Amino acid sequence: MRGSFCGRTRREFLWQVGGGFGAVALTGLFSHDGFPRASADDGIGGFVNPLAPKPPHFEGPAKSVIFLFMYGGPSHVDTFDYKPELYDLDGKTVQVQTKGRAGARNQGRIVGPKWDFRQYGQSGQWVSDLFPNVAQCVDDIAFLKSMTADSPLHGSAMLMMNAGRITSGSPCLGSWVTYALGTENENLPGFVVMLDPTGGPISGAKNWSSGYMPASYQGTILRSQGVPIIDLNLPPGMTREVQRELLNSLRDANQRHLASRADQTDLAARIATYELAYQMQQHAPEAVDLARETSETHALYGLDQPRTADFGRRCLLARRLVERGVRFIQIYSGGAHNDDNWDAHDDLVKNHNYHAGNTDKPIAGLLKDLKRRGLLDQTLVVWGGEFGRQPTAEYAEGTGRDHNSFGFTMWMAGGGIRGGQSVGATDELGSAAVEQPMHVRRLHATILHQLGLDPNRLTYFYGGLDQKLVGVEHVTPIRQIIA
Amino acid sequence: MRALVSIFGLSVLLIVVSEGSVWAQPYAVDFTRDVQPILAMHCYQCHGPGDAASGLRLSSREGATEPANSGLPAIEPGDAAGSELMRRITAESIFERMPPEDPGLTDEQIEVLRRWIDQGAPWQDHWAFEPLEAPAVPEVEDADWVRSPIDAFVLARLQQNGLTPAPPADRLTLLRRAYFDLTGLPPTPKAVADFLADDSPDAFERVVDRLLESPHYGERWGRHWLDLVRFAETNSFERDSLKPHAWRYRDYVIRSLNEDKPYDQFLREQLAGDEGDNPTADSIVATGFYRLGIWDDEPADRLLARYDHLDDLIATVSQAFLGLTINCARCHDHKIDPITQQDYFQLLAFFHNVTPMAKEGPQIEVPIVLEDGSSAHALAISESGPRPPETFLHVRGNPRVPGSAVEPGFPEVLTSEPPVIPTPAEDARTTGRRTVLADWIASPDNPLTARVMANRIWQHHFGRGIVASPNNFGSNGLPPTHPELLDWLATQFIAHEWRLKAMHRLIMLSNTYQMSSQGDSLALQQDPANDLFWRFDLRRLGAEEVRDAVLAVNGRLNPQMYGPGFFEEISAEVLAGQSRPGSGWGKSPPDQQARRSVYIHVKRTLLTPLLEAFDLADPDSSCDARFETTQPAQALAMLNGKFMNDQAAHFAERLRREAGDDRLAQVRLAWQLALGREPDEASQRDALALFDTLQQHGVQPDKALDYYCLLVFNLNEFLYLD
Repeated sequence: MRGSFCGRTRREFLWQVGGGFGAVALTGLFSHDGFPRASADDGIGGFVNPLAPKPPHFEGPAKSVIFLFMYGGPSHVDTFDYKPELYDLDGKTVQVQTKGRAGARNQGRIVGPKWDFRQYGQSGQWVSDLFPNVAQCVDDIAFLKSMTADSPLHGSAMLMMNAGRITSGSPCLGSWVTYALGTENENLPGFVVMLDPTGGPISGAKNWSSGYMPASYQGTILRSQGVPIIDLNLPPGMTREVQRELLNSLRDANQRHLASRADQTDLAARIATYELAYQMQQHAPEAVDLARETSETHALYGLDQPRTADFGRRCLLARRLVERGVRFIQIYSGGAHNDDNWDAHDDLVKNHNYHAGNTDKPIAGLLKDLKRRGLLDQTLVVWGGEFGRQPTAEYAEGTGRDHNSFGFTMWMAGGGIRGGQSVGATDELGSAAVEQPMHVRRLHATILHQLGLDPNRLTYFYGGLDQKLVGVEHVTPIRQIIA
Repeated sequence: MRALVSIFGLSVLLIVVSEGSVWAQPYAVDFTRDVQPILAMHCYQCHGPGDAASGLRLSSREGATEPANSGLPAIEPGDAAGSELMRRITAESIFERMPPEDPGLTDEQIEVLRRWIDQGAPWQDHWAFEPLEAPAVPEVEDADWVRSPIDAFVLARLQQNGLTPAPPADRLTLLRRAYFDLTGLPPTPKAVADFLADDSPDAFERVVDRLLESPHYGERWGRHWLDLVRFAETNSFERDSLKPHAWRYRDYVIRSLNEDKPYDQFLREQLAGDEGDNPTADSIVATGFYRLGIWDDEPADRLLARYDHLDDLIATVSQAFLGLTINCARCHDHKIDPITQQDYFQLLAFFHNVTPMAKEGPQIEVPIVLEDGSSAHALAISESGPRPPETFLHVRGNPRVPGSAVEPGFPEVLTSEPPVIPTPAEDARTTGRRTVLADWIASPDNPLTARVMANRIWQHHFGRGIVASPNNFGSNGLPPTHPELLDWLATQFIAHEWRLKAMHRLIMLSNTYQMSSQGDSLALQQDPANDLFWRFDLRRLGAEEVRDAVLAVNGRLNPQMYGPGFFEEISAEVLAGQSRPGSGWGKSPPDQQARRSVYIHVKRTLLTPLLEAFDLADPDSSCDARFETTQPAQALAMLNGKFMNDQAAHFAERLRREAGDDRLAQVRLAWQLALGREPDEASQRDALALFDTLQQHGVQPDKALDYYCLLVFNLNEFLYLD
């Protein structure tokens, strides 16, 4: 909390008010505060990329984040939070306070877990039969079994998980991270989002918005098939050679224009961005070209099976992006509405069998692949949804569960996380966190911390305040899971 | 003797003024401009209005000079060497040094404080809260350059710093500058030719007057206002549902600006246009202002959401109208400014009776009678009768922990006079409270309102305000670079009946406005950020200007004003990001899609990608100054995007139609239309060479012209104004 009005925020303030501040002025401002700015080492003069790499507050183990977003809210008591007593209560009405889409209730009909749990790994973590492959990796995974969030409704809960607040207009986690650290590869976007083939999540672009920060930090949608990035492909009929000729002619004209305005760094910067865009066109297709991977790797991620091919492709793509220095990657499991995502209000068994079946093998493949390539230590993998689900049924009939933001499970692996453990607990029904409740803010704080950022010092001056991803109160990372 | 160095907050640090200048006077640190920003930024967090750690409060002279818990006063006026504050800010030990966090104060900041204390630590209250008075216009040497009092203020500071103003801009540059500034559109080749041929002394004045009469003026300046009031036509969140009739508010803004409606009336209508004796359709539409913000129709916590919504009103009213961040005092007293939590809830009390937002229905849809006698509905405010709910302070901002009751009131630092709230009739629709607030804000006696708006007018002419933090005139905003000029402009604004057009004339007919953007090595060294306005700042076109200029140049711009917005074509890839791709987005015919960008339907979760790439304001909260980024996504959109390639093809069509098949004639016309000038020889040669090269690559002649037109749209000369 203290001292956050130092040069860093004032610099951002100067930048925010924009206007006549050119790249040179910015470089100067950046250089004598807590965040010395590396110049873009791309051989292109004059351009200070807002995404150029910046040093962290301190040396953190993680360089990149892969956030596997299980949109809709997976049921914790059917996946990783083993509640043995819940099986026998199946069908019985119990007194329990719940709050979800259907509002607040004081009692409900228990839906017993629909899958068996087993212990795995040397650490003996409990995993249900929904995730037999992820189960093989539990010694690398730290389970957070007492997560809480501020909203049991998708729209606001999504915003909270992605941007730390239940109202829209704030920058997302990926925006904060690229704002703070830039990205290692300027030929690719620094914050990448890969959507489910059924569509985007509720609130669409708000989930990867940079809010009050510049659009440079907003997430870029990357597609695993077809044109990877919007406007990356040449217009129909144009060849790369022809575009090169156009760019040469454009550069000559712009250089002529610059000659009598040599001190205008914005103009030089703009000339440079065309070269960078040209390079992106060359590098991005290579980055997303999965044909360069072996068939063994394809199989590891489940690309050889129709059920898992899509999510597997995106997980494999994530690994390739991490290798190329992309800072923050978010992959959605589930899109659109209702059973197109994990939002199992009606038939829990059908819904969760489907979504877990699509993702189990690819997620395990990703963890194993990162590990064998020595990338897991520097890649923080996060798994979870915007909330969990109730132990009780939503309707009179059926197995569907309502939303639950009072207690749910997420997990982390790699990036300096000590695996093979579970932290926190919900009550015996799984209805609320009772042991070490951990708010979403602490998850965010932990992610920032692993990247070498102090969550309480990472600020952005806006609206008269030093804004923080984790809010105004001091927030501590989840120390128990940090190696 | 020479004057040196001028950057924010340090303008007078090393200045030694030349003898005989009107500014010649003993060198003095200015508390407001030089000292207070340092204290506010680095000290107030712990030793300020909100907190007095270790018994030290540096936000008042008493606090700074009385003994703190240590027994020592922080400041001994007149004795920097003996002041504890100096010892602590220069301490070597990290356990002693203040401020405790990296990297401490700079040598320059320490020097400012040292000199200030040695000079007796004179204290002034924050400049922006002082009553507004017209300052004397400085007398300057070399008065030839002074065409307007504005020039005298600017020149005085330049001379004080040993700098001279840049030479006048050339006529074409000036014309393009004026066109984009006032209408957001480029001049036509005919307008250029007429102006260049007109050597009468009032030629430019007549251009300015003509542009001020253009209906495009309101579209350009209305957009600035729409940024401030977070205008959008949907609610954001899960459903991002439509705000009915929101476009009428946008039209109201454009029309008000075109009519040159006095700004005080403009504010009154938006704050309380439904109250009073004779609400008009216009003044009711104006209150749509209250309905423009984000709104969660399915909040997790209804009570909290209600107060979040009121907080949005407080933030927008206080920042946009008053340049104050009163919203910072929701949970506790403001940490930097003398704004208390009591002030926050007193302001909230003015709005407390406003009915909550809704998706539709009489609460937000109010019947109006249009000029032609037909009836319609407006998105507007309503209150729940004459009896407001009681307002309580929220302890730590928590609505479930009410503190003491509060009545409507103004921030104490700005006025000691309590509002007089009339007792409404039993059958009144509203409490009448908002009229009281509106009268206080839209008053010449309010120290902030005129200053804040005069600053915005300057900002949109020069690319940056005299106060470079236009929504924040508080202590952690940036101090004015030209405080006297700002106050002079504010008093002129009031004297001209709060009319913007008079201010545009005043500013644009000054020599300060008409300077070139040319560099100067001495000035660049001394004032690289151009805080002293020694030249005009080069600027990139804004998002709407880029799109609108493209349509104007290729001849497709549809000038149709007003009415419901249109849907710009958005690619399937972008729509795929929605949970229901295409939901809430329609398809408009091509001629509608050629309208100006201000008429694009503003859907919060689906902004136009091209405009976003060029730093469109995020509509979720008040935006006082847009970013001006330079990033590869802009280049990709401009080179590969469908919109740009389509428009380039239309441009090529126009060139063929109007210039025939001769390549040189096509190139010349392209430049005249896009840049307002003939291509120089090298540019002609390069263009013809490019056509040859493209032919060698097998590009068909028509396609080659398309590509050339695309290139022209990507020229820096097209996208930047000198």
